[in-house]
Amino acid sequence: MVNYFPTHQTTSQHQLNQTLTEHYSFSHINMNILITGNKIIPPINFCPVEHQLYRSGQPSPLNFPFLSTLNLKCIVWLSNEDPEDSFLEYCDLNNITIQFSAINPDFGEDDNPWDGLNEKSIANALNTLLDKRNYPLLVCCGMGRHRTGTVIGCLRRIMNWNLASCSEEYRRFTGSRGGRILVELLIEGFNKDSIQYDEELLPDFIKNSIKKQ
Amino acid sequence: MIPYIPPLNLGMVINSSKDNTEVIYRSGFPQPLNYPYIEETLNLKTIIYIGSEKSVTDEYKAFIKKNNYSLKIFEMSSVRDENLHIKIKHIFELILNKQNYPILIHSNKGKHRIGVITGLIRKVLLGWSISGIYQEYGVYTGNIKGEMDLEFINNFEFGDLNVDFDIDQLPSYLNYV
Repeated sequence: MVNYFPTHQTTSQHQLNQTLTEHYSFSHINMNILITGNKIIPPINFCPVEHQLYRSGQPSPLNFPFLSTLNLKCIVWLSNEDPEDSFLEYCDLNNITIQFSAINPDFGEDDNPWDGLNEKSIANALNTLLDKRNYPLLVCCGMGRHRTGTVIGCLRRIMNWNLASCSEEYRRFTGSRGGRILVELLIEGFNKDSIQYDEELLPDFIKNSIKKQ
Repeated sequence: MIPYIPPLNLGMVINSSKDNTEVIYRSGFPQPLNYPYIEETLNLKTIIYIGSEKSVTDEYKAFIKKNNYSLKIFEMSSVRDENLHIKIKHIFELILNKQNYPILIHSNKGKHRIGVITGLIRKVLLGWSISGIYQEYGVYTGNIKGEMDLEFINNFEFGDLNVDFDIDQLPSYLNYV
C-alpha cells in the first residue's frame, strides 16, 4: 500500500487518508521493475494533451510505475534511434504496442538523429493518433520536445487550431533553447487534407472540433 | 472555416477518467477571441478564477451566464498572501466533488498562480514527486523559476487544511471504490 498523503496529519484528515490508502490498488504495477518509494515520478516533459492522449520524453525505469497508472495501449515512438532496452522490455511485459513512426529503412544514411521528422513519419504517426482503437496513447521521443512537438502541432492543426496557438504549445515544451524554426515550418506547411482517416474511428475530441465547423 | 483560438497557456491537468467527464483544464484569462473554442470543445461546468474580482469583464460575465458555467473567484496575488490556506481549502473542496467537473482553472496568464494550484493537485491528489512538479511548473512559466512558489508547494501540508468532502462524491481518478 502506498500512502500518498504527508505523514503529518490532523485527525479530521485521517478519514480521507485511510479511505484513499485502503482503496488505492497497485496490483497492476509490476513491482519487479523498480520500487520508487511512495512517490510517483512522471517522465520528462510529461503532459496530458487530450482525453487519454499523453506526451513525454523517453520514460526511464523510474517512470514505469507512473506509466502503468495510465493503462496505455499504444506508444508512438518518434526518434529514429531505438529506445532503451528496459523500455522495450516494459512495453513487452505490459502488452503495449510501440509504433516506430520515424524509423524508416527507406531513408537510410540521410536519416540523422538531429534531423527533424519528415512528412512520411508525421503521416505515419498521425494515422495512429486518428484511430481511437489505439487509445490510451503516449507520444514520445528522446526528450519530448521537437519531434513530439511536431506531431502534436500537426494534430492541433487537424483539430482546427490557429497556427499561433500550435506554435505556442510547441515552444512551451522546448526548454531554455527555444523552438526550432524548421519544426514550426513543418507545422505551418502541414496540409491537413493530406491525411486520410476513417470518421467512424476518430477519437471524440477530434470529432467534436471538426464537426462544429 | 475560422480556426479555433484556445486561451493562452491552455493545458490539461487531469484527463484520465474513462468517459472523459472528469477533466481539469488550466489556462490564462479567456478573451472574447477564445470563447468559441471554450463553448464548442471543452464542455465545461465550473470555472475557477484565481485573481482579482476587478479583472472580470462584463463580456466575460455575459459569456459565463450564456453558457451556464458556475464561476468561482478566489482573490489571490501570490503565495505570500495572508489567509491563503483558506482559499486553497475551498479550491480543494471544489476539486474533490465530482459534480463540479469538467473544471477550468485560470488566472491571468496561466503561469505562476495556476502553476502553484496544479502543483498542489499533483502533490496531494496524484502523489507526484517534487521534481516532476518543478518540471511541469517550468514548462508553463517558460523556465522562469518562482522560488517562492516551489517552496510553497514543497512545504504544503494537505492535512493542515481540514478540507470538507463527501466520500461518495470523490472523483474516480482517485481510484476510490
